[in-house]
Amino acid sequence: MILEKTQTHQRVIEQISVLNAKVDFMNDTALSNALTYLEEKGIPNNKNEEYKYCNIDSILKTDFKNIQQQFNTVSTINNLRLNDCLTLVVVNGNFSEKLSDKLVLKGVKLFSFNSLENSGKQLLTAAAKSNSDSFIALNTAFSGIGFHLKILKNEQTQIPIQILYINSASAESFVNPRNIIELEENSSATIIEHYINIGTHKVFTNFVSEKYLAQNSNLKSYTLQNETSLGYGVYTNQVKVNKHANYQNTTVTLSGRLVRNNHQVILSEDNCEASLFGLFKTSNNQLVDNHTLIDHQKPNCQSNELYKGIIGDKSTGVFNGKIFVRKDAQKTNAYQSSKNVLLSDEGCINTKPQLEIFADDVKCSHGTSTGKIDENALFYLNARGLGKESAKKLLLSAFANEVIDKIEVDSLKEIIESQII
Amino acid sequence: MITIKNLHASVEGKEILRGINLEVKAGEVHAIMGPNGSGKSTLSNVLAGREDYEVTAGEVIFNGKNLLELSPEDRAREGLFLAFQYPVEIPGVSNINFLKTALNEIRAYHGKNEITAKDFLALVKEKQKLVELDGKLANRSVNEGFSGGEKKRNEIFQMAMLEPTLSILDETDSGLDIDALKIVANGVNTLKNKNNAYIVITHYQRLLDYIVPDFVHILYNGKIVQSGGKELALELEAKGYDEIKKQF
Amino acid sequence: MSNEIIQEHINKDYEWGFITNVESETFAPGLNENVIGALSKKKNEPEWMLEFRLKAFRHWQTLSQPSHWANFPYPKVDFQATSYYSAPKKKPELKSLDDVDPEIRKTFEKLGISLEEQKRLSGVKSNIAVDAVFDSVSVKTTFRETLSEKGIIFCSFSEAIQEHPELIKKYMGMVVPYTDNFYAALNAAVFSDGSFCYIPKGVRCPMELSTYFRINTGGTGQFERTLIVADENSYVSYLEGCTAPQRDENQLHAAVVEIIAYKNAEVKYSTVQNWYPGDKNGKGGVYNFVTKRGLCIEDNSKISWTQVETGSAITWKYPSVILKGNNSVGEFYSVAVTNNYQEADTGTKMIHIGKNTRSTIISKGISAGFSNNSYRGLVQMRKGATNARNFSQCDSLLMGDKCGAHTFPYIEIKDKTAVVEHEATTSKIGEDQLFYCKQRGIDTEKAIALIVNGYCKEILNKLPMEFAVEAQKLLAVSLEGSVG
Repeated sequence: MILEKTQTHQRVIEQISVLNAKVDFMNDTALSNALTYLEEKGIPNNKNEEYKYCNIDSILKTDFKNIQQQFNTVSTINNLRLNDCLTLVVVNGNFSEKLSDKLVLKGVKLFSFNSLENSGKQLLTAAAKSNSDSFIALNTAFSGIGFHLKILKNEQTQIPIQILYINSASAESFVNPRNIIELEENSSATIIEHYINIGTHKVFTNFVSEKYLAQNSNLKSYTLQNETSLGYGVYTNQVKVNKHANYQNTTVTLSGRLVRNNHQVILSEDNCEASLFGLFKTSNNQLVDNHTLIDHQKPNCQSNELYKGIIGDKSTGVFNGKIFVRKDAQKTNAYQSSKNVLLSDEGCINTKPQLEIFADDVKCSHGTSTGKIDENALFYLNARGLGKESAKKLLLSAFANEVIDKIEVDSLKEIIESQII
Repeated sequence: MITIKNLHASVEGKEILRGINLEVKAGEVHAIMGPNGSGKSTLSNVLAGREDYEVTAGEVIFNGKNLLELSPEDRAREGLFLAFQYPVEIPGVSNINFLKTALNEIRAYHGKNEITAKDFLALVKEKQKLVELDGKLANRSVNEGFSGGEKKRNEIFQMAMLEPTLSILDETDSGLDIDALKIVANGVNTLKNKNNAYIVITHYQRLLDYIVPDFVHILYNGKIVQSGGKELALELEAKGYDEIKKQF
Repeated sequence: MSNEIIQEHINKDYEWGFITNVESETFAPGLNENVIGALSKKKNEPEWMLEFRLKAFRHWQTLSQPSHWANFPYPKVDFQATSYYSAPKKKPELKSLDDVDPEIRKTFEKLGISLEEQKRLSGVKSNIAVDAVFDSVSVKTTFRETLSEKGIIFCSFSEAIQEHPELIKKYMGMVVPYTDNFYAALNAAVFSDGSFCYIPKGVRCPMELSTYFRINTGGTGQFERTLIVADENSYVSYLEGCTAPQRDENQLHAAVVEIIAYKNAEVKYSTVQNWYPGDKNGKGGVYNFVTKRGLCIEDNSKISWTQVETGSAITWKYPSVILKGNNSVGEFYSVAVTNNYQEADTGTKMIHIGKNTRSTIISKGISAGFSNNSYRGLVQMRKGATNARNFSQCDSLLMGDKCGAHTFPYIEIKDKTAVVEHEATTSKIGEDQLFYCKQRGIDTEKAIALIVNGYCKEILNKLPMEFAVEAQKLLAVSLEGSVG
């Protein structure tokens, strides 16, 4: 396939590099790989199979004509804090030590990108290769000052850690937050990544997170996206799961003009497990595109995926879930399901559940269904005296609950329950 | 008919059978009883030739041939039939088609012509009655959507169709209610004659009320620890397996 | 256990690999406007036909050859090294069966295609009208008189151009325009023959219509076109079979099939594709790049594709239905088997435009050896396709650990009342199933055939009887030496 490359990337690079200092925590090879890759591939448009339903090139052309990188200062986060968590704060793409809680948890370490240990430097760009995707490349070249969060060996962290990404721009801006989350052997943690926008202007968030799960570790990760109609973003998670480790993520998208999630999980050793759950509710002219890849590289691994979408108004929902089962990955058990409800005449849902299987002793299945609200159920509720709207709400929350029930952090669950329907 | 000498077998490196000796003659019914994990199913699988089981020592002579050297299908063609504990479902393949293929393969092995469609259907009709199997089941896919009892009756129906010389009934009674049990037993009793033999593997004595064995063997820890007549089964039922476990 | 069993069994050779010794007239390889002119002249075509070809050719020249499709890169085809016309040398016009070259008749007889009307296909008593295409040209259409009594036109495409120009002009390219894709453009420029079928209003075609395609001459491409028009309230069932001799070099087959169904009309199109798949090492074989599409143009029409694909080195094929008329129905039933180094990328597109349109997709892929088998499909619910429904089921069966099975379903929904369900599973033949069969005296090879046929039963049941029997045998043969 010949990809028509446009010049968008050059303009974006020019505009965002005005204020950005050189990112000296990245090594030079990664930087030059990133820039070479960008020059070669540009920003993907809908001719690129992976961005078929998500033409970011065109969105950058129309909605980010003039990126000025002007931000407001953020001085308090009180009402955004989840009460049962410790909170780390990233403002306009950079880690803010001042607004963050002190991580007093035993066995948890935090290093700013400016003071990375050697081991942290090794991990940076190890999972998110700067020459694998244009947005990873762009982030690598212009990465904000992020952090490396490390859970030490044998530590079972009891208190969830909330990472709050706050954007507040006073003119069109583009931020590149980034982090590394590392679980050492036999450790466990719960992490919530929470994105919000409190500014007056559009912000494009190009987020990259590298997550490393060492042997026998267990990470419960939650993503809550609520960046309002001024928020645009590509959110990349590159997750590497080691032997007997277990990764679980639940991504809930409440708002955002453009939300593109690239969630890639590599099951790199035997007997590991990954679960990806997602819930998105779209309205107005939103575009929410969930791309997941679970790469079964070794035998006896399990994966389980469930994504649910509720699509309203003129919005578009996309689910593209790929399951890769490599030659060696015998006895793989992979299950994927995507269910959607289309509420409006103008809305649109595109799904592409994809299986690519190169091993024979596997059990893989995927299912997807899209439909309207069950008229019979609606009628039944009406007949029992519920009004049209409340009956509809009841049915939609029942639909959403299958995902919401996966959330084990109460404060987070409450926010989502109160806002989703 | 079959002579088993010092048979040792293991699964994934773990020894399950530790020296089985057994002789079954034509016209006889042998019951093998034993607690869970004693090696009952392993014995039936080894005799039928399942590849997951490794025979580490011993020999089995079946109708004058070295059974262990034969492929599973040749064992079947030589007249060994295993009524599976868990009959397998084969979607899309009708019972009739399956049996016709099997029957003709066995006939071909013995140098006989293919059975005509007419004769085959007549045979099906006759044998179906034996196990009171609904005619519709014959046209359904092999075991697919069958109830537990239907599956077991289907096994006996297949046995009736293929007319083996040695039949091994691997816990055919498990999961059957008393009516189904009687039907199955009645089928076996009707098919029994002086030229064939049965090895009935079971955990419980109750099947043996209906299929009366000439010999009862108690299998424990991969060995036959006690043999006797049909009264042994009753004795065992009264004492329970714990007694055996204590004893050996 | 799988691998050992695979190794244990010997490959059965391609049975249809014979070459017919018949003197043929073949163009020198190469493609330019002169060649197209010569081809058109050879076929005594009217001016408008030549213009159509040239337009298509000029468009084709602006396109670049798709170098790979998803997983599968393939060596580029040298279009200048292919010959675009090969015809058995024959008398200018065939008046009766006796005029058909006896060698060709023998070929078709070997294939089980009786050209003699009295003898029925494969000796089974049946009623099938056959249009046999040998290399590039149609050699004989049977049962024409019987059909014409009902007003049914069934003839070679060349004849249709001469005898029914108004119909050809109206319908050719209506569903698959020459601008559609690279190979459709190439076909439009150089197609040599094919079949044309028109069922008039209110007529239920009394017999199965069939085209049998055979590539014989080496280094030739086969580019045939099939056009089926079913007028209001008519019905036709159409069969297509394909074989080719064994050759080391790859041969190109780039066909176009168009179907148009009017109000209340129903067309059933069945294919058993068994082009030469190449040898055990992946040498040779046919590249089968085909564009097949049906248009349910008016209300209550129905188009159904059933295919059993066992041949070709590479197959790209997506028989599709555009559901324009309200209440129209599209169906796709497919079995695709790949073995050795074969690659099949096949599926369907169901484009729902009209209200209450329905589509069903059932695809069964079986991969063995080193092959790759992909299902690629699109279900599109356009706005206004009120209450449209689709159900898709894609199952893959793997034999051995060196093959791949892939599923790429695209689902695009723009109507809130539409309901779409898609399910896919991947599994292998259960060892338990094999052992059960063996314990009943059935050997591995037969057990595989039994299980695979059972797995494909839903699809095989959709085929006309004679074809179903042939397809069953073909499945067994294609998988011999590959089981596990």
